[in-house]
Amino acid sequence: MNHHASKQELVITRVFDYPVDLVWDAWTDPSLVMKWWGPAHFSSPSCKIDLREGGSYLFCMRAPESFGGQDYYSAGVYKRIVPQQRLEFTQILSDAEGNAVKPSDVGMPEDFPAVVDFVIDFISKGDQTELIIRESNWSPGPMADNAVTGMNQSLDKLAASLA
Amino acid sequence: MANDTFSALADPTRRGILELLAGNPELSATQIYERFDVSPQAISQHLKILRETQLVRVEKRAQQRIYSLNIDPVKELEHWAQAIRQQWDGRLNAMDRVLAEEMAKRKANQANHENKGE
Repeated sequence: MNHHASKQELVITRVFDYPVDLVWDAWTDPSLVMKWWGPAHFSSPSCKIDLREGGSYLFCMRAPESFGGQDYYSAGVYKRIVPQQRLEFTQILSDAEGNAVKPSDVGMPEDFPAVVDFVIDFISKGDQTELIIRESNWSPGPMADNAVTGMNQSLDKLAASLA
Repeated sequence: MANDTFSALADPTRRGILELLAGNPELSATQIYERFDVSPQAISQHLKILRETQLVRVEKRAQQRIYSLNIDPVKELEHWAQAIRQQWDGRLNAMDRVLAEEMAKRKANQANHENKGE
């Protein structure tokens, strides 16, 4: 058995009260992606998307001043695009040019996955859209705890900003 | 290793063994073989994977190997899945707000165009 070949997949499903063209734009229009993809309290100074199969994207997330104000980059390649139906892409931690970096070099835990694969299905249901998100290649371990802590902090800040 | 819990659980026979052990706290290897239509060699291989991923515990008693269930790796997996789900909840809530804004903007633009058209 090849242990490294084991692939872990998580499926997340959610229905949105918006038509599929709008939901598709939220995933593919850089000006919209910038507003929600990164952690809630981070800003996003830039997002470049070359929306074609084999095309790449580069996303910059800026930590808030209280967290040091650092820029983090993630990049990836679009593997498959079926407009308003399916989006498949990879994600790596990268430098400002989109080159892969080691997780430890940008202050992430060692077991942060090298490559994450995303497969997104957009299912049009009239005025609604069902999103099926498949995320794979994450590894369990200490990272899970960090994600929980990070997300709880984000949600707290978010709740405060909305109040 | 916890990383392999997923692949260990992906096999239906291995899940069958775990379900069997969930209903019977302790079973010998022979008692497990008897419940399945596959060869003892195949079951033996499955039990090896379950031992390696620590999904089962084994204890040697006289001439027998007694198996029992260990749910710790499953708990770890659940914890991990929960963390990723929470992350997505936050992200998709943010996306929902972006969609609301964008929808309002597009409606306003459309209304504008229609007014101009009159």
